[in-house]
Amino acid sequence: MLARDAESLFWTGRYLERAEDTARLLDVTYHGLLETTPAEEAQAWSDVLAAVRLGRVFAEGRRPITAASVSEYLVFDPKNAGSILSAVEQARENARTVREQLSTELWESLNSFCLELRGRNLRADLEFQPHELYGLVRRQCQTVAGVAAETMARDEGWRFFVLGWNLERAEMSCRLLSVRYRQLSPSAFHQWMNTLRSASGLEAYRRTYQASMDPADVVEFLLLSRTFPRSVLFSLRTAENALGHLALDGQLTRPLRQLGRLRSGLEFSDVRELMQGDLGEELRQVEEGIRQVAASVATQYFSNSREFDLHSLHLLPGEGGGR
Amino acid sequence: MPPDRASATDANRASLFADYDLGGFFDEVFDADNHVRPHYAPLLAGLDRFTPEDLVRRARIRDAAFRSQGITFTVYDEGEGIERTFPMDLLPRIVPADEWQHIEDGLVQRVTALNSFLDDLYVGEGAAIHDGIIPIWLVETSDGFNREAFGIPVPLGARCLVAGVDLVRDGEGTYLVLEDNLRNPSGVSYVIENRVAMTRVLPTVFANQQIRSVDHYGRSLLNALNRVAPPASGDRPTVVVLTPGVFNSAYFEHVFLASQMGVELVEGRDLVVDDHVVSMRTTQGLQRVDVIYRRIDDAFLDPVVFRSDSTLGVPGLMAAARAGNVTIANAVGNGVADDKAVYAYVPELIRYYLGEEPILPNVDTYLLWDEDQRSEVLDRLDELVIKPVAEAGGYGIVIGPAASDAELEACRVNIEADPRNYIAQEVVSLSRHPSLVDDHLEGRHIDLRPFVLSGGDIEVIPGGLTRVAMQRGSLVVSSSQGGGSKDTWVLAKGAELVVDSDAETHDGTEPAADDVEELS
Repeated sequence: MLARDAESLFWTGRYLERAEDTARLLDVTYHGLLETTPAEEAQAWSDVLAAVRLGRVFAEGRRPITAASVSEYLVFDPKNAGSILSAVEQARENARTVREQLSTELWESLNSFCLELRGRNLRADLEFQPHELYGLVRRQCQTVAGVAAETMARDEGWRFFVLGWNLERAEMSCRLLSVRYRQLSPSAFHQWMNTLRSASGLEAYRRTYQASMDPADVVEFLLLSRTFPRSVLFSLRTAENALGHLALDGQLTRPLRQLGRLRSGLEFSDVRELMQGDLGEELRQVEEGIRQVAASVATQYFSNSREFDLHSLHLLPGEGGGR
Repeated sequence: MPPDRASATDANRASLFADYDLGGFFDEVFDADNHVRPHYAPLLAGLDRFTPEDLVRRARIRDAAFRSQGITFTVYDEGEGIERTFPMDLLPRIVPADEWQHIEDGLVQRVTALNSFLDDLYVGEGAAIHDGIIPIWLVETSDGFNREAFGIPVPLGARCLVAGVDLVRDGEGTYLVLEDNLRNPSGVSYVIENRVAMTRVLPTVFANQQIRSVDHYGRSLLNALNRVAPPASGDRPTVVVLTPGVFNSAYFEHVFLASQMGVELVEGRDLVVDDHVVSMRTTQGLQRVDVIYRRIDDAFLDPVVFRSDSTLGVPGLMAAARAGNVTIANAVGNGVADDKAVYAYVPELIRYYLGEEPILPNVDTYLLWDEDQRSEVLDRLDELVIKPVAEAGGYGIVIGPAASDAELEACRVNIEADPRNYIAQEVVSLSRHPSLVDDHLEGRHIDLRPFVLSGGDIEVIPGGLTRVAMQRGSLVVSSSQGGGSKDTWVLAKGAELVVDSDAETHDGTEPAADDVEELS
């Protein structure tokens, strides 16, 4: 397929996941903080900004770190390219450039989602019914994912879509853990619950670990679970599978090698060892690894074609002989 | 038929057509004595079951569906792109089989002659010029004439691979050719989407009609494109659609065509030319391209040859076409044949190349460089329509009877400064068709753009884009000028027989009128 189309599908997946993750994060943070002190609140909101890697940019705007200012920034601020609204708009714009590759149902569900968000009074939503708004974003993203899974052929386009989606998810989950793990003492029951809830993993966690709130169990679940689809390892396996299908004749491409090493590092990790060592550093390395994979994907697939120098073109038949 | 039902339907027709006024125009539905033309009888019988409110509601459902499906065109206002839906009037326009046969014969004849003229001009001897059929200076001063197209072959001479010929009907109902569109005629996506929308919003009105389908267009277009592939490209040539990109107002149509054909939709930056071979950049490297259905104007196609500031085109593309390694459709330089001054010569070109009388006449046209014609036109400026020769989409048209004194004066100055740049035509009393306005029907002027495919044989898609001038009294029906459209039904041969049995079919046993299927 066209390199440009592949890139657009990759980013459609990424932006949708970004919108969904941001909505989840805001939802649990907001509702987890209704009964806390102002200091705890400010800490929680700066954690949110750190998890979406917008802490520094936000600080440059000299805004107070409050629920209202951070939520507005992350939901609809037009200056924030990472806001939910911007992410959905960009997912739509990317999809629009590859519309002929998408099923009508997929395009329509994404387009209506975007049009609905545009048409809402998001400021009023944030003030009066934030949970409904975040629920809507989450549901619509899941609808798009579901429609995609049910209607798209498992061809190259699908692989790039899944790849972007899961690399974004793995990176986000990784950052969420980085931000949260330090506060996770066994007594901080509240934060544990919220961290799991923001990954929609509370029920699945309980079925595996029952009522345990051992930090190692939570880290193992969010980082290394082989069955929970939002864990870092699971997302990386899904991404690796997509990359494997993209490599012709089982060729070991650079992004595939990088991702394989990253994934197997996690696959054969032991959570107790990780907890005794420097978990923060480990998470940073995984996050960096994910970003390198994304960069290699771009080099391998989105800009792989030979570039031509205008001056070396043979403009008349027979001139220069050709190769 | 139960009596209450009968009175309800009569009441519906009465309120839909309340105060309907033929206004002295040729009406597509009613004859001069206000009788329903036979080919519209089943449709009107079907519509009797709807109240005006039903129709308004269904029109809204259609709009919402088009918006969520992104069937839109973009209007730019102060740099801000606004996505609009192209309004569709719910009353279809119906063309009986015999009328369509006449139109089809006329279009095949006209496009055949135009292809011959272009091939003669660009790769032939210029016979029509040597034989004095058309003056060489007229050809050479046409904006659409391109010296760069000389010597570039098009297999089968199918230069107008897709032609959109705009037809109107005059006060007697005679079909006339208003203009030819031989460069990048657009609108075919609406022909197909309008039909899909109609079958969903008003499924019951299709009962008892034999309407020819239009949804095979993508296949026919791909067949035509395959046939014009360079001979060396083998059995399965690689065809692409070249778009200026997502910001183009017709982007939806480009997407639509690529997906109907199942081919890649490329932008200029996706293509690269090396050693006179065009390739597209794919995830697996470069892949050779054989046929380009381009929706980019000539001027932007290749910065090496045309506008050097164009970033939409592909450097080296023209040389690749000249070398015979790729076919560009529609062919470069076609604009010379849809120039509105050259238009006046098309009937002569038909006689010259085919030895036949034109089946579809032109609108009477005056050429303004001719002193006698010019002085007559300047005397009657307020009675005529003045058109710039190179514009499309209704831009720059001055309609004499509707123009202010100042506009007429400006027009006079323009003509005297550059007579080659304008033509004058008699005002055609365009036919009208009932159209939904608020909650009732009013007559609105319409035209018809059928689409004609050349690729060896010439194929006319049965139907076309009927455009409606939504402003009361307006004679300009271009979509760029706030017009709407209608689904256009061409009846199959023998379909008229069904009309007679219509009376028995509306006995109240059909589904209720309000079970509208949501568009999806």
